[in-house]
Amino acid sequence: MKITLLALAIGGLTAAMPAVADEALPSNLLYDAGKEKKTVWPLPVKNSGELKYNEHRQDLSKWPTLSYEDKRPTKKAEKVELQGPLNGNAENGKKLAMNTQRGNCWACHALPGDVQPGSGGPPLLNVGTWGYSDAHMYQQIWDRRVANPGTEMPPFGTNGVLSDQDIRDIVAFLQSLN
Amino acid sequence: MKTSARIAAIALSGLALSLGAHAEEVYRDMTPYIDYGSKPRASDDARHTNTYQYWKDNARIDPQRASSATQFWTVNWKYKDPPFNDTLHGGHDAQDRGAELYRQLNADGRFAACLGAKKGELKGLRLQYPQYRKDMQRVVGLEAMIEHCADKQGMKLVNGSYDNSAVSVYITAFSNGMPIRIDVSKGPLKESFENGKKLFHTKAGWTNFSCATCHVSVVGKNLRGQTPTTHYGDVAHWPTWRSKDELQSLHVRFTECNRNSGVQPLQIGSKEYTDIEVFMTALSNGYPVVNPSQRD
Ligand code: HEC
Ligand code: HEC
Repeated sequence: MKITLLALAIGGLTAAMPAVADEALPSNLLYDAGKEKKTVWPLPVKNSGELKYNEHRQDLSKWPTLSYEDKRPTKKAEKVELQGPLNGNAENGKKLAMNTQRGNCWACHALPGDVQPGSGGPPLLNVGTWGYSDAHMYQQIWDRRVANPGTEMPPFGTNGVLSDQDIRDIVAFLQSLN
Repeated sequence: MKTSARIAAIALSGLALSLGAHAEEVYRDMTPYIDYGSKPRASDDARHTNTYQYWKDNARIDPQRASSATQFWTVNWKYKDPPFNDTLHGGHDAQDRGAELYRQLNADGRFAACLGAKKGELKGLRLQYPQYRKDMQRVVGLEAMIEHCADKQGMKLVNGSYDNSAVSVYITAFSNGMPIRIDVSKGPLKESFENGKKLFHTKAGWTNFSCATCHVSVVGKNLRGQTPTTHYGDVAHWPTWRSKDELQSLHVRFTECNRNSGVQPLQIGSKEYTDIEVFMTALSNGYPVVNPSQRD
């Protein structure tokens, strides 16, 4: 609390610690309400006693943080059912799977054409031949915790990272791998 | 108006906490704990990743292992430290800058006294941190204390800034070769350790990752060009010179790991980061201080 007040008091200085301005959020986030993406990060500047704050590429304050003031729970695992035909665009799915800021599946899974295959999860090079239904794959991407509560795989659907159509596209891409 | 509303909110939540943490506790996914024991030390890694044997003595690093694409992570980056790596780098410039700033700050001897240096002796001072300060009513790391004491001398050295870390490098180097030894078996440091342990295993962000997701669950696995190593023995070389030309403090490193894993970073010097610092420092117990240092 003291720290926030101090930061406000010296707020005239350019490098003052950014103060959270949203009452609903914890007070000790690196958050700048004046910036488009809100989330900021500190950059030390050579031979200076101040920190410079840069805007992050994404507003991360929307999800639970490590702040003791944060009373937002982890969202419980969501069981979902794929509705109707898949209607997925495999080409777009590939783009999503191999985009670090979206699906980012390649961080953990080996995918065709990637020279730096991730090994945090099983290789998916021929996952299309594993005999998984579209519905099974859809559920794993939406929220893998339904099958394995302790999984390292992010709950892309539950946490609002990928939309219904995004996940359909990725399933179409996965089914095309053989 | 806004500010007073927030004070009220915090005062209230403090009250709720003191009435009973259980009522307040919200559900968070956790990565299961490994056995940290009651007196953690760097060598405990032998029952975690079992890589301790490859990095316990940085004078005897196996060069072949250090340059192997699949095994280098088992050396916990210690091949970046002297004597294996004796190149000059930005950390040495920082040490010089720190010496100069220290001379200005300590002209009347009060800066050293404020930091807790007996008769101005800097040797071993790094090992006293993090520590609980009765006068400040909280646990502080060395960099937080440098900010606090510089303030009293009329110099602004924001925690995490280049100049703050430069002074920290200068001071830390006096303890080179001395093993980290922080006692987390009782009192406020035990509380801080337990909180830090919990935070390290708490999942957060859009990814639902905890620190332990990478440093415990997928340790040694390849995350597209990045390979997380053990979280044991990681604190003895901070602040460090990063190859992206940045003098980085441990808390600034935490913000980087947070960002890289889709988790909102917290303020430098926050209670949360300080608790994680205490946790990780205890996991470095027995490992010798080495600074200036360099990391990728
Ligand atoms: C942080 C690492 C990580 C990321 C990122 C990740 N996964 Fe996974 N994934 C895993 C792990 C680990 C498993 C193994 C099963 C388990 O432990 O839950 C897995 C399993 C799977 C499976 C097999 C499930 C089964 O029933 O056998 C599929 C399919 C899959 N992932 C697809 C994806 C897709 C598509 C993405 C991107 C949208 C993705 N993963 C992102 C870690 C990850
Ligand atoms: C997405 C994976 C990931 C997550 C999550 C993660 N880290 Fe890291 N971390 C890494 C990688 C990769 C490195 C660089 C290799 C190494 O030293 O382990 C690293 C390095 C570090 C280092 C520097 C180690 C050294 O020897 O210099 C510290 C300290 C650290 N992490 C702490 C944390 C903390 C605290 C958290 C949680 C707030 C965290 N990390 C979360 C991947 C991660």
